Amino acid sequence: MTRALRLYSHVASVEARKAMSYRADFWVNVILSFFAQLGVMWYLWQAIFATTGQATIGGWDLPAMLRYYILVILAGKLVRGQEMMAGLSQDIYDGGLSRYLLYPASYWAFKYAQHLGSLLPSLVQFLLFFLCLPLLPGGVGDFHPGAAALLMGALAMALGNLLYWLLQLPLQAVAFWADNVWSLGVLLRFISGLLGGAMLPLDLFPDSARRVLEWLPFAYLFDLPVRALMGQLDPAAWLKGMAICAGWCLALYVVSGKLWRSGERGYTGVGI
Amino acid sequence: MIEVQALCKDFHVHRKQEGLMGSLRALVKRETVVKHAVKAATFHVAEGEILGLVGANGAGKTTLVKMLAGIIHPSGGEARVLGHRPWERTRDFQRHIALIMGQKAQLWWDLPAADCFLLLKEIYQIPEARYRETLAFLTETLQVKGELNIQIRRLSLGERMKMELIAALLHQPRVVFLDEPTIGLDLSAQRAIRDFILYYREQHRPAMILTSHYMEDIERLCERILIIREGELVFDGPLVEVMRTHARHKVISLQLKPGAPSVNLRRLLGTGRDVEVLEEGPERIRIQAPRDEIPNLAGRLVSELQVHDLAVEEVDIATVIEGLLHARGGGQAAPEELAAPEELAAPEEVAA
Repeated sequence: MTRALRLYSHVASVEARKAMSYRADFWVNVILSFFAQLGVMWYLWQAIFATTGQATIGGWDLPAMLRYYILVILAGKLVRGQEMMAGLSQDIYDGGLSRYLLYPASYWAFKYAQHLGSLLPSLVQFLLFFLCLPLLPGGVGDFHPGAAALLMGALAMALGNLLYWLLQLPLQAVAFWADNVWSLGVLLRFISGLLGGAMLPLDLFPDSARRVLEWLPFAYLFDLPVRALMGQLDPAAWLKGMAICAGWCLALYVVSGKLWRSGERGYTGVGI
Repeated sequence: MIEVQALCKDFHVHRKQEGLMGSLRALVKRETVVKHAVKAATFHVAEGEILGLVGANGAGKTTLVKMLAGIIHPSGGEARVLGHRPWERTRDFQRHIALIMGQKAQLWWDLPAADCFLLLKEIYQIPEARYRETLAFLTETLQVKGELNIQIRRLSLGERMKMELIAALLHQPRVVFLDEPTIGLDLSAQRAIRDFILYYREQHRPAMILTSHYMEDIERLCERILIIREGELVFDGPLVEVMRTHARHKVISLQLKPGAPSVNLRRLLGTGRDVEVLEEGPERIRIQAPRDEIPNLAGRLVSELQVHDLAVEEVDIATVIEGLLHARGGGQAAPEELAAPEELAAPEEVAA
């Protein structure tokens, strides 16, 4: 167990070093990508509030809405990570899987450790802008989370990260039969963004839809961590969300395992 | 160490017709054909042996290696490597094998070799002292100590291949698969890799399977070869046996004395079947003839011509194997063809 932990922490560390290998890309990833996304949301919601003339939409005023989006951008990058970049489907497509099949190590654990290591730029971005958030003008920076909110938010982001990775696994395993599954990844990104609260707060959905969303995995990717960070969840609601999220993780793990075992029998190791 | 029994692999390949209409049709219905990549391969490799796997492109060499390395599942048959079924990929099996692919980099492109090796140390759980000792030995022998801290992608092809070799051998595998390890390398790098493989074999006695299109790799490294043609093993035996059973000719090279009078070579050679003049110059003649006619023919030439020097040479092994690879029909060589090897005579030098 200790040896395995040492291996996978080493793998994560190597990936983190790789993420820092290219300085310009690192800072573009950390700084510019944040401002680009924030700029779009800032002007979009200012225009929506100005056009409707309402002080609140779905219970959210403009500063709270912008605060929500800032946290969604920051937490979302930690939850999604590098997505398909280091994915199983690419390894199947180009035969990169072959070398991992030779190693006396778990392929999934290896790839997840790589995925965690590649989160370093997102982590730096989160810390940098999260600490700067209270400095923002116009009530947006009116944000003082307590220790409990921070802890619940951090744990929800960690589990959300695992959930998003596991959501990708069965889709990527389709590459054993279909070679290229890039469009499935795009579909997951869109659906999870819409139904998970990354595009707009789930409060803006009708009640009936919210009741369904509660049992789907997507709300636990963005909505749960951000609400936890904003101090909007009591421990019971947080715990329920975490339990449902863990249930989905387990189910996806089992389904992915079956798909993997079936698919790898047909793997051809192209490219060598 | 490696036992293979009637191992087969079929691939289902989609065939798409050319052009836009072909692409549109393939969106609805695709034609699938079955390609028999490996057909009932049976052989074994012993400890310390380097087996050469020879075949044309697409003959099934790499597919066979991929099955034995546990990367792909077979369609039928059985194989045991170190007592394990390779495709079950037990940790014990994986810890004792290595695959080196000349055509595919396995190291992490953006990392220096030193970092890649440290990662492999963790993957294979190599104790610190043994890791240091093995790495020092390998880097010194292959002369790449100075390149350890350079990103893999910035290394030359030869340096990268040496790093791939080190990466594959750090854990001291007992079975090594070498898939075209010298492809694309210059002559000195090829030689260095070959020397190193021989040295490694001497030190550690692993079972090795080597595939290569370079006959020099095969000649220098392998005592025994398997020839695979369209998925079928058509020859399994010592390299010298290929020459004995399939090289039915030898070549007589004559160096004539300066100013020697010209003779009618056709008349001198008579009506012997299958005798061919490969080269005919004022001072040099080369004649290809059946093995059993060589002594008579050599005697006749020496007595009739003013010969300064004479050599009897084997036909180039690459030519013989090429002939085997492209021969149609046939199957695995008959048992009598795989009889115990006889010592291959070195080119016979006959002083004039």
